[in-house]
Amino acid sequence: MALLEVRGLVKRFLGVTAVDQVDLAVEPGELVSLIGPNGSGKTTLFNCVTGYLAADHGRVLFRGRDLTHVAPHRVARLGVARTFQQVSVFPRLSALENLLVFLQQHQEEHTLARLIRTPRLRRLEVEAVERARRLLDLVGLTDKADAAAGSLSYGQRKLLAFAAALMPDPDLLLLDEPAAAVNPTMINQMKSHILALHRQGKTVLLVEHNMEVVMDISQRVVVLDHGQKIAEGSPDAIRRDARVIEAYFGR
Amino acid sequence: MRRASALAFIVMVVAAPWLVAAAVPRQQRYVLHVLIFTVLFAALALSYDLVVGHVGSLSLAHPAFFGVGAYAAAILATRARWPFLADLLAAVLAAAVVAALVGVPLFRLTEHAFAVGTLGLALVASIVANNWVEVTRGPLCITGIPKPVLGLPGGPTLAVTTLPGYYWLALAALAAVVLLYRRLTTFRLGRAFHAVRDNEPLAGAAGIDPLKYRLLAFTIGAALAGGVGALYVHYLSVMCPEEMTVALTVNLLVIVFLGGVGSLRGVLVGAVLFTALPEVLRLAPTWRLVIYGGLLLLVVVRSPEGIESLLRRASGARAGR
Ligand SMILES: Nc1ncnc2c1ncn2[C@@H]1O[C@H](COP(=O)(O)OP(=O)(O)OP(=O)(O)O)[C@@H](O)[C@H]1O
Ligand SMILES: [Mg+2]
Repeated sequence: MALLEVRGLVKRFLGVTAVDQVDLAVEPGELVSLIGPNGSGKTTLFNCVTGYLAADHGRVLFRGRDLTHVAPHRVARLGVARTFQQVSVFPRLSALENLLVFLQQHQEEHTLARLIRTPRLRRLEVEAVERARRLLDLVGLTDKADAAAGSLSYGQRKLLAFAAALMPDPDLLLLDEPAAAVNPTMINQMKSHILALHRQGKTVLLVEHNMEVVMDISQRVVVLDHGQKIAEGSPDAIRRDARVIEAYFGR
Repeated sequence: MRRASALAFIVMVVAAPWLVAAAVPRQQRYVLHVLIFTVLFAALALSYDLVVGHVGSLSLAHPAFFGVGAYAAAILATRARWPFLADLLAAVLAAAVVAALVGVPLFRLTEHAFAVGTLGLALVASIVANNWVEVTRGPLCITGIPKPVLGLPGGPTLAVTTLPGYYWLALAALAAVVLLYRRLTTFRLGRAFHAVRDNEPLAGAAGIDPLKYRLLAFTIGAALAGGVGALYVHYLSVMCPEEMTVALTVNLLVIVFLGGVGSLRGVLVGAVLFTALPEVLRLAPTWRLVIYGGLLLLVVVRSPEGIESLLRRASGARAGR
């Protein structure tokens, strides 16, 4: 069974059909890229999958479970993590706290029980801090742990948001343009981070404009144009696909 | 060193009635009255800051919750002759229930509509207090609210009849509010509140239900405001509709935003400055408004984040940073 399955998804905004009858399946452990020209509906598809937008038609299944009308926080707790195209952090929390927030909701459910700092809760917090520090090390933000996230550079915030998505050890990771608007060194960093995740067996759906990254690391590529899926296949097949070339260069 | 000065401060605050008696024996009653008001306002402002400061929802409904608690206590204490602790608890619960009920539809509104909706709630509450005469006695006010008697049924009791006694009761209530405020705004709960305040969509991606946390802060803030309302009417022994007008919102906004929104110390300093100071400055009536207005202007211009950021800068400079 596919880990994520999107069936006949339609999302319209006042006259624009941003996502038009899209079918998509991602198998466990796969690294799939979703590409397409600007405005082709990639982010909208992410938003429909993660509960930020309600689809007009079609269904989203995660492990066979219907996500179509599930709120974002519930989707997250089911094991689906996402990043945002517009880099998104909690500016007034420290880098470390930014990561902690992403794990605590998965560790325990009872909101008001947190008023009492039980030994169990303290132990969970220690574990969370350890994991957060490891992830900060991984993305090279070790010495920024106590800096307010809002004070970090654009690239650093991007890395922080990426690390935050990894905090709860999600089963499915949706990345919206992780390599956009950062310098070449960081693009390579991101690329190797994503590859490493893939090798660990994580399932990744990647939206990315940087063709080098997409073609290098994806197992499969899905192409959207004007909200419709126009092609799907291996990176090599996509590179040669006439409709894809047309969509990118033919206007 | 820090600990020692904090301890000295607490001792001074607790010993205030004696200090006042020694320092200004002829104005003792007046000064104590101002102190009691200051302490009650500090507790009320902290309850308000849970909502505006920590989940970032600009509620203007706080007088309504204060009023619900005040009227619940006033009515139960006079007509049903409930003991003080029972009517205090009822006031807390009544305000919490009202907040939870109105909060669900209100938090579905956008930011600005939420502010307007809560303002509407405050106005409606004030109109009800004025016009539902059978229950609230309207402008005639509920009078003869007894002085608080502490104690549980069957056990020993302690009547709070003196001004110092009332000051200490108010101080105990403030201490309880401060403890709860700290519990709520630090560690995991605080982090979740602040995540919702700073970036709601991202909070969702982190698995946090924004509505739930907003509602939680709103309800607890209202519950505490209801409790302060109960303490307030037992102190004044009357409750009138004027106690819950929009003027109260303005007062709270001044205390919280000029003191330091989202900061315990800032809100406490704000409560002292903007409750006690106007009273103290009243000693020079001609200059009172000028000084008060000038101070407001100075804080807003020099330090839009409130007095708290000035304090932080000052202590940062002392530490040589
Ligand atoms: N909230 C919205 N309201 C109205 N229209 C929207 C909204 N979000 C997206 N759209 C429109 O839907 C279409 C698809 O947008 P979307 O952001 O999904 O594209 P994208 O493939 O992510 O583009 P890019 O590569 O530039 O990020 C665009 O025409 C866009 O203008
Ligand atoms: Mg996009």
